[in-house]
Amino acid sequence: MYSTTLLRPKRLWCWSWVLFFVAGALLSGCGKDSPSGSEAVVLNQRLRAKIQTLDPADVGDTNTDGVCKEFFDTLYQYHYLKRPYEIIPLAAAQMPEISADGLTWRIAVRKDVYFHDDPCFAGGKGRNLKAADFLYAWKRVADIRTRSKNWYIFDGKIVGLDDFRQYTKSCPPEQVDYARRVDGLTAPDDHTIEIKLVRPWPQLIFWLAHVPTAPIAHEAVERYGPDIIKHPVGTGAFMLKQWHRGVYVEAVRNPNYYPAFYPTDGMPEDADAGLLADAGKRLPLIDRIIWRIMEEDQPRWLLLMKGDIDLNSIPKDNFAQAVGFGKELTPQMKRLGMRLTTVDEPCTFWVEMNMQDPLICSNKPLRYAIAHAIDRMRFIDLLWNGRGYPAYGFIPPAMKEYDESVKDGSHCVYDVNMACQYLKEAETLYGGKLPRFRLAMGGTDFIYKQMGQFLQRNLRDIGLDVQLEMFDWPTFLEKMTTGDLQLFFNGWMADYPDVESFLQIFYSKNAPWPNHGYYNNPQFDAIYEEVSIMPDCPERVDLYRQAEKIVIEDMPCAFTYHRIGYIIYHDWLNNLKPDGYKSDTIGYGYSKYYRIDSQKRDAYRKQLKHQDE
Amino acid sequence: MRYKTEKVDTLIKGRSLWADGWRRLRKRKFAMLCFVIVLAYFALAAAVYLDEFLKSRFAAQGYTGLRMFNWSQTVGPSYQPPMEKYAWTPDNAQAPQAGWALLGTDFLGQSTWRKMVYGAKTSMTVAICASIISLMIGVPLGALAGYFRGKVDDLVVWLYTTLDTIPYILLVMAFAVVLRNKTIFGWEIRGITAVYLAIGLTSWVSICRLIRGEVLKRKESEYVLAARAIGCSNSRIIFRHLLPNMFHIVIINLSLQFMAFIHAEVILSFLGLGESDRPSWGSMIDAARTELARNVWWEMAAATAAIFIISLALNIFGDALRDCLDPKLRTD
Repeated sequence: MYSTTLLRPKRLWCWSWVLFFVAGALLSGCGKDSPSGSEAVVLNQRLRAKIQTLDPADVGDTNTDGVCKEFFDTLYQYHYLKRPYEIIPLAAAQMPEISADGLTWRIAVRKDVYFHDDPCFAGGKGRNLKAADFLYAWKRVADIRTRSKNWYIFDGKIVGLDDFRQYTKSCPPEQVDYARRVDGLTAPDDHTIEIKLVRPWPQLIFWLAHVPTAPIAHEAVERYGPDIIKHPVGTGAFMLKQWHRGVYVEAVRNPNYYPAFYPTDGMPEDADAGLLADAGKRLPLIDRIIWRIMEEDQPRWLLLMKGDIDLNSIPKDNFAQAVGFGKELTPQMKRLGMRLTTVDEPCTFWVEMNMQDPLICSNKPLRYAIAHAIDRMRFIDLLWNGRGYPAYGFIPPAMKEYDESVKDGSHCVYDVNMACQYLKEAETLYGGKLPRFRLAMGGTDFIYKQMGQFLQRNLRDIGLDVQLEMFDWPTFLEKMTTGDLQLFFNGWMADYPDVESFLQIFYSKNAPWPNHGYYNNPQFDAIYEEVSIMPDCPERVDLYRQAEKIVIEDMPCAFTYHRIGYIIYHDWLNNLKPDGYKSDTIGYGYSKYYRIDSQKRDAYRKQLKHQDE
Repeated sequence: MRYKTEKVDTLIKGRSLWADGWRRLRKRKFAMLCFVIVLAYFALAAAVYLDEFLKSRFAAQGYTGLRMFNWSQTVGPSYQPPMEKYAWTPDNAQAPQAGWALLGTDFLGQSTWRKMVYGAKTSMTVAICASIISLMIGVPLGALAGYFRGKVDDLVVWLYTTLDTIPYILLVMAFAVVLRNKTIFGWEIRGITAVYLAIGLTSWVSICRLIRGEVLKRKESEYVLAARAIGCSNSRIIFRHLLPNMFHIVIINLSLQFMAFIHAEVILSFLGLGESDRPSWGSMIDAARTELARNVWWEMAAATAAIFIISLALNIFGDALRDCLDPKLRTD
């Protein structure tokens, strides 16, 4: 009787609604739109900008580089703990054998390295890495149809590679023969690479630790075509699980990763800092990485406080909350179990001037006026809480070639009177009042707006009319490459511990990438060409400084500041040692060293939940 | 006798719709107060324009503009980073205080009050220009569609129905993204121009629909038939007879849409698609959003209050205007 009552048509209707809501409530927790939790040890990372591609050939900015390096192992890497930075083998079996004239490099590739499992391979099983995969990857960079921004790395340096590039120009699309012989790139056997150089290239070893030179499987490129940007089939410690564009990237441990181990030696202070606790352990020490893409500072900060991301930089408006006097964590942060680490980053930021613009190019006093107008100390204090050094030239204090006396001859010193004086000269040269200028910022986050407003105000103070333009990062990169910007806030982080990395952005043949400002000075070019083949020696340092003085004299950029990186992280994240050359600690192949204490994280979250209740 | 003459005169003269509407409006004290507020906002915007004009004209004579409108000047303490080299200043160093920092200062030490005043210029400019654009498109299209019917009507109805299916703010954003930093016929569309163009080009639908309906209703009325009988051309009937008789509807609609235009401008500026290098209420809210973490609330409060007051005033005034001008809604 009872059940019959329940099943009367009217009641049945009611029950179906009840079931609908109950099912909805139960299923609401199982959404696939966001990365879901599991028993695996997860590193919760964050990105402050969307990533453009996961194709190593086209990696050109720090965010993409940081993520890509987790999927692609290069031939070499930097020792995780040792400073100054030391190059050690990664996919290479040993350090390269270099001929006495420096023109021939012979590199043995590890025989136990396998690509990620992927449907592009027969049976979906990743195949063994061979020397030919490196040659293929480098030829892809040279292929004009790949449209790689990294061609400048190889341009004019490897025997026959420039000819190969010329060949790809005339070749019908999709029919480039990558087996075509390039004299400077050969594989004497399956696991040996031989590189013949046009001239000595000491920085090659650093480039071999850089993502654009990482191997990629030709099977993947052939299978996915233009979609290769979404299929990073490499040999790294992690494989891509999903990339929800603009939202998050999820990576999982590569089960076929070759036997790699945590370093057993480091700096003397590393043992005390607990950085050798995992010495000799098999890598990686975590199972998954999730990068949440959040362009805004505050959501990132709030997620850090909630324990939903493990590490972060410190936003300007939260600095007082996090760091007190003596640059130490505040008691509140210490109570939460936070840790702080800082690193002088080898980077320089500046207001770049497009030297293709006739007005800017022909008017040196105008460029001097802009350089003198920027109040660098105030900029650093106001916008970065003092986390930086004023820049007088492009060589940052973090590099040994930095010369303190650079300030003496530089126009990058705040002086309103000088700026006004130069502006008058500029107006005389122009023949009247200067028109309105456009200042572009590569971000829509409010920190970019504030930086833009600050610079705009500095320039308005000397009588320059400047209009702000805000672009998101990918649009900014595109406009910079096509030369559409007039004045733009830009910067460069050295790719490797050699000032040559900075020189290449002013080398005329590297326009528009990475020479975004189209700077061209034959005298500078001559020094660059000379210095780029020199080994590390005092003469080379002198030439670097000489090149810097030429740029300061021409002033295509108003150098603004060098950054000091502050990373705050939870105490459940172990083995974190920031690398100054890898901005913001977002990955760069170092995630495999991190160890996560999941229990501690769970306890933190439980405590927060308890407090909320 | 005399009395009779006066009465006859009054009957003959009558009162126009506008005079009658104004008489009714004046009786509503609160609506009049709102009208004064709206006028004050307009006056403020006009004063900023005048000041900028005088500044450019008499700069050589040393005129630097009124201080009230000089939003970029530092008037009080800016943000003090908590570093060793500074004496410790509490987080509320920028808080409201006497003088131009009455509503506090922003991170550069600029007066929030002055930025709020300047924001009125930005909003009013956008709202007025967008209104003009939407009227210029919506009124003729609506009139033509209603009057001629047939294929013209089909085309116009298809056009506005298509536009209407796209969510308004998304459409405005899309137009703003497409238009900004573009050069069309040698005209550079930057900052505020892109905003009012985007709003104007997407907001003509409601006025177009309204006018079309009214024309459909009135095209068979006696005065139109009379005009047609004496041989008036179609354009004369539309622009000299029909539209002037529907102008009150346009005014009512516009007073209500004006508020929507201000809101759209605020949203676009907040999203970084609006005015980027001059103050606007939207960009003030955007700036204040991150500063709330430091308990800097005054910039957010000032911009919100400015929007709230004009929205409320426009809403009440628009309602009152409709009550007074629309004969169907008259209660007295």
